[in-house]
Amino acid sequence: MSKATFVYVIYIAAEPKAVWNALIDGEATKRYWDHLNVSDWKVGSKWEHQRADGTNAVDLVGTVVESAPPRRLVITWAFPSQSADPEQRSRVAFDIEPHAGESTRLTLTHDDLEAGSDMERGISTGWPLVLSNLKSLLESGKTMPLRG
Amino acid sequence: MTKSRFLYVVYIRTTPERLWDALTKPEFTRQYWSGTTQASEWAVGSSWTAFTPDGRAWDVGEILEVDKPRRLVLTWRNEHFPEMQAEGFTRLTYDLEVVQDAVKLTLTHEIDRENSKIIAALADGWPAVLSSLKSLLETGQSLENTREWPKGL
Repeated sequence: MSKATFVYVIYIAAEPKAVWNALIDGEATKRYWDHLNVSDWKVGSKWEHQRADGTNAVDLVGTVVESAPPRRLVITWAFPSQSADPEQRSRVAFDIEPHAGESTRLTLTHDDLEAGSDMERGISTGWPLVLSNLKSLLESGKTMPLRG
Repeated sequence: MTKSRFLYVVYIRTTPERLWDALTKPEFTRQYWSGTTQASEWAVGSSWTAFTPDGRAWDVGEILEVDKPRRLVLTWRNEHFPEMQAEGFTRLTYDLEVVQDAVKLTLTHEIDRENSKIIAALADGWPAVLSSLKSLLETGQSLENTREWPKGL
C-alpha cells in the first residue's frame, strides 16, 4: 500500500493571524467549511471536526501534533470509524507565511494518505473548495455554498 | 502519456463569461499576471503569445481547443530561458464549470517528459497568479506583488 501527498498553495490578502484564527474559530469555519474545529489546540490534545448543522455530528477526528500560532498547525486526520487504525490516519499541516504587503501564503500539505483511498479522493476535491472559500470569506466577507 | 503535470482547482465567485474574459483580456491580465498581456485570435489554430509590459514575447504557442466559456486548451513554450525553451511545448487546459453562484476553475499544465523544469516553475507560479485573479474578480483588487513585471527580468 503506497502513501500519497496532496499539496495546495493559496495566497490571501489577510495577515497570518487572521488566517490562523479563521482555521480555528467556529464563527468562521461554520461559514466557509460547514463545520467546527473543536480542540484546545495544545500539542497532544484531541481535535474533532463537527458538522455545524445543529447535530454536531463528528465527521473527522485527530490529535494536535504541532501548534505554533500563527505560523504552523499540524493535526492527524481520520474518519471516526477508522481512527484506531494507524494506517488510516493521515496528517495535515498548515504553513501560514507572511507574504508581500499584508498578505499570507497558506500551504496545505496533507500526507500519509493511502494512495487510491476514498479519503485521498475526498480531500483532493475538498481542500480546494474549503480553502477557496476561506479566502473568499477573509477578503470579501462572503462565502460560496459548499453543497451542490 | 503525460509525464509532468500540474493540476490546480480554485473556486471563484463569478460567472464563466467573466472568468474567461479575465483569463484572456489585457485589461484584466495586466492587473494580476505581472503586467503581461496575451495576443491571439482565440480560434483553433490561432497563434498565442504572452507579452511582457515592454513588448517581449515571453511565451508562445497555439490554440488547440476553444469552447467558450467552458474550455480552453493551448500549447505554451517559454522563449526566454534556454533550458525551458529546449523542453518544447507544454499543454495548458482551463476547464470552467458553474457550481451554484461560483465557477470551479480546473487548470492542468503538462508536458510529455519527466522532471520538467518548466512545469516545476509553473507549479510555483500558478497559485500566485490564480489567487490574485480570484481576489481581482471577488474584491476588485488583485494581490499586491502580482501587478508588475519583476525588475531586471
